[in-house]
Amino acid sequence: MGKLLVSPSPHIHTKVSTATLMRDVVIALLPATIVSIVFYGLGELLVVGVSVASCVLLEYLITKYLLKASNTVCDWSAAVTGLLLALNLPSTTPWWVVFIGAVVAIGVAKLTFGGLGQNVFNPAIAGRVFLLVSFPTYMTHWEAPKGLFGADAVTGATPLGAIKEGLLQGATVPDIMSANGYSYGQMLFANLGGSAGEISAIALLAGFVYLLVRRVIKPHITLSIWGTVALVSLIFWLASPARFTDPAFNLLTGGMILGSCFMATDYVTSPMSIKGGIVFGIGIGFITMMIRYFGSYPEGMSFAILIMNAVVPLLNMWFHQKKYGRK
Amino acid sequence: MAKITFAIGGIHPSDSKISKNCAIEVLPLPQTVYISMAQHLGAPAKPVVAVGDKVKVGQVIAEPGGFISAFVHSSVSGTVKSIAPRKDLAGNCVVPHIEIAVEGDEWMEGIDTTDTLVTAIPEDKAEILAKIKANGVVGLGGATFPAHVKLAPAKPADYLILNGAECEPYLTSDYRIMLERTKEIVIGAAIMQKALGGCKCVIGIEENKPEAIKAMSAAVAELGYKDMEVLSLMKKYPQGGEKQLINAVTGREVPSGKLPADAGCVVQNVATSLAVYEAVQKNKPLITNTLTITGDCLPVEKQHNYLFRIGVPLSFIAEYAGGVPEAAAKIISGGPMMGKAIANLDATTVKGSSSLLYLGEEATKRQTASACIRCGKCAEACPMGLEPFLLKRLATAGDTDGLEANAVQDCIECGCCLYSCPANIPLLDIIRPAKAQVMGIMRARAAAAKAAAEAAKAAAEAKNNENK
Amino acid sequence: MSSTIIWTIAIIALLGLVLAVVLYLVAEKFKVEEDPRIDEVEKVMPGANCGGCGFAGCRAFADAAVKAPNLDNNFCPVGGNDVMKKVAAILGYEVKEKAPMVAVVRCNGTCENRPKTNVYDGFASCKVKAALYAGDTGCSFGCLGCGDCVAACQFGAITMDPETGLPVVDEEKCTGCGACSKACPKSVIEVRAKGPRGMRMFVSCVNHDKGPAARKACAAACIGCGICAKTCTHGAITLENNVAYIDYSKCKLCRECEAMCPTGAIHGVNFPKPLDKDAIKARIAERQKKAKEAAEAAKAAEAAAAEPVKKEENNG
Repeated sequence: MGKLLVSPSPHIHTKVSTATLMRDVVIALLPATIVSIVFYGLGELLVVGVSVASCVLLEYLITKYLLKASNTVCDWSAAVTGLLLALNLPSTTPWWVVFIGAVVAIGVAKLTFGGLGQNVFNPAIAGRVFLLVSFPTYMTHWEAPKGLFGADAVTGATPLGAIKEGLLQGATVPDIMSANGYSYGQMLFANLGGSAGEISAIALLAGFVYLLVRRVIKPHITLSIWGTVALVSLIFWLASPARFTDPAFNLLTGGMILGSCFMATDYVTSPMSIKGGIVFGIGIGFITMMIRYFGSYPEGMSFAILIMNAVVPLLNMWFHQKKYGRK
Repeated sequence: MAKITFAIGGIHPSDSKISKNCAIEVLPLPQTVYISMAQHLGAPAKPVVAVGDKVKVGQVIAEPGGFISAFVHSSVSGTVKSIAPRKDLAGNCVVPHIEIAVEGDEWMEGIDTTDTLVTAIPEDKAEILAKIKANGVVGLGGATFPAHVKLAPAKPADYLILNGAECEPYLTSDYRIMLERTKEIVIGAAIMQKALGGCKCVIGIEENKPEAIKAMSAAVAELGYKDMEVLSLMKKYPQGGEKQLINAVTGREVPSGKLPADAGCVVQNVATSLAVYEAVQKNKPLITNTLTITGDCLPVEKQHNYLFRIGVPLSFIAEYAGGVPEAAAKIISGGPMMGKAIANLDATTVKGSSSLLYLGEEATKRQTASACIRCGKCAEACPMGLEPFLLKRLATAGDTDGLEANAVQDCIECGCCLYSCPANIPLLDIIRPAKAQVMGIMRARAAAAKAAAEAAKAAAEAKNNENK
Repeated sequence: MSSTIIWTIAIIALLGLVLAVVLYLVAEKFKVEEDPRIDEVEKVMPGANCGGCGFAGCRAFADAAVKAPNLDNNFCPVGGNDVMKKVAAILGYEVKEKAPMVAVVRCNGTCENRPKTNVYDGFASCKVKAALYAGDTGCSFGCLGCGDCVAACQFGAITMDPETGLPVVDEEKCTGCGACSKACPKSVIEVRAKGPRGMRMFVSCVNHDKGPAARKACAAACIGCGICAKTCTHGAITLENNVAYIDYSKCKLCRECEAMCPTGAIHGVNFPKPLDKDAIKARIAERQKKAKEAAEAAKAAEAAAAEPVKKEENNG
């Protein structure tokens, strides 16, 4: 028996740690990653590999040589950022563009703010938005799914992009839908063009359920986004079905599932209280729909999350949980 | 059936009730006992014996040192060897202890040492309270608040809540007495009900103790008490916290800064109920209690529940039970969530001692803290609805106004925040001194306000007198 | 085109003028009348805002100094006599010179002298540790070693020595502001006079335990034996709660107590020569012998003086 330990209470601790939480997020993202690699092939594998590797490597190098701080690679957070960034990019993105995205995500959005826990903006989204604004050609150059061993690459527009373009040319929503042969089944089970992570709603939802079961996240932010999107699009769709897409379409396409389940629920950049989280979700849902319906970009999820990220400190100040014995 | 529990926060650590099947054994007497003068909340007791005096079991050896204080009785018969400060389990050498060399086991006259059940409850409230006070009964749930003070609330109570939750992992002493001294506990509750003027009594027991729930319900039915009910509670820590138990049982909340009595409730532990029974029905002072020897690094056959005489050194109990296990990295008096780590095993047992817990390094060693990831798990776990991450930040910045505005004074130090932090940030370690500081400021402010009010009153009176 | 430029310039200029007038009026309206000397005093202050003087910061000190009738109660320990002279010059007061002060760690419970009895595993803060228990050694009075003093020092003058586990004060950097002393929950650190050429004596122990207990806990403990107090010819040493204390205003730096201390708890620092224990002990022995002889002689003389009286009595 060595010398006894003495510390203030409590003397036991949960087995959940930052690393296990982040690892659970990686596990939750695996189905979507695998599905996208199966559909998009080697190009996607390269994007995922470069993104994860460069995020982890950059985190290691910057913390060690620039910040001279303790090594934070072991907490898996850089791997999560890398994976999320990869799932936000088209499979045709050149490796150096992916690398620049990683530099912005880890170097600018995360570490300049002080590293894990201090960043105001979700690093993966910051990286993606930076690339979307800087390299629109690569970022809007979607490749239609061709399978792992598929032959010729067919490029096309995402459903949201197609609709936006079609509407600009004066077509109606049902026309565009039928012209492109979109079905909800396809949206659920993959096979629509888009960035890698948008391909299969089911794979993403499976990961989301895993996170809920493991109590990594709570569903309030996600549900609040879905509710808002459904409500806003229902109102517009009922008002004018020809001009506006329906709720189911909006919930299943674009970065909606990926963003609402994995990006908006990021601990660091979402509000601490349940009430704050619901307001945060409403904000994201509303801004997303405004951009989708009236903005010049076909997709608004990333912008909406970034904008609401900036409001989080205020939400944390305004909304607190109910205290025992106080009104 | 809907699960009955408190509304805000709480955590679910593994209950680890390894020693639950160990029947209570009587611990033999050591050669010497050391009886502490600070075994209760409030002013320390004042010794009334001198070195060289012969004492009997149950003899008063110290009297209350203030309104909130309690009598202390000798737990053995023998000779007083010394009255001097002795190191407590934190290693501080401040509190006087009465050292008694054990000679035989001669009890005071008038103490009923048989185990015949006495069911007839005295009618007189004052008599009950006097007996509870004279026999030095204090709350045995952890805070050791003198029972006679708590059982005479300023406002009539609607509820007497008997705490059989035993929500701390590992501990089984309450469970064992609920099984083995069932009727005594129930009668004790009925006595306290009478002392409170006949309110409703609810016995709250967590669902991980079905045998205890069954036994206690049967005893209540057999004794035919009408206003008493056994309630099965969901397993959740800190269910046994006074404020949480009141919320779970009645749905009420104790207003911030107020006492349970303000919510019309009195909470007593089942062990206290047993002590009340013995004090009132048997005239036996609080000189014994039940203690669990357990831990994750102790084989189950070495785990015990002992009936011990108060004042027996912890080291004697540890030796009798087979010594401190090799793998023990920390020894704790009390539960793993709120118990005190023992720095000095030679310290003595007190009225509130409930366990000797050995934890191995893997279970108890603190991990290196990393950055806060703002997951909010501490706030989710806090049973008082506080935001530990925020309190920690304010405490580090020394912002006492901010701490007070964010209710640091409501913290019950249950440890849920520190337990649940995935970044291993020692939240409670940092919040605890900040709370003490803020409460000091609040007390000083209240005292200043009182003094100012009194001065104003005195001035007004002086003026009145002049006018006359 | 040119009219656009002209209009732009005109509007911007006008806007600037209007805003300047508004700003001027507001500044005039909300002007706080302040003694201009406060600014002057603040300028000569060190500007560390350490609070060592007892005020919230340098400006608060300047404000208090200007309002006070003299400088007796206001002294900037950081700036010392130099700064106080400047302040006095501005305010036209006289300043009493004060001896420069330095923080002294009164604990020599190194890992070697004071073996660890348990391992502290909580938050590394002396405040937290002191509230929890007596500490991770047998001594419940000495340094807890978590470095609250290091964190409290604004001048980077205190560091923890990893070898001994005790804080070390850098005399060059230490300003004697006392922040460390306030931060220490065990009151181990005392602000003492720096002494001539930095030479000073102090008891490096605050243990109140009785001799044997203190000795058991720490090899370098003051055991309260009182030899130092008996040795001291200047009345500088007092013994209270089983621990000796040297009054620095009375100490004459003779180092006799240091030589006589059985546990080496008394420290003399910055002396040019190492302590020659034997010489000092011999000196003390010599003095005591002389004193004894003198006492005996006095006694004899007294006896001799008394003798005739007795005889007279007998005669009578």
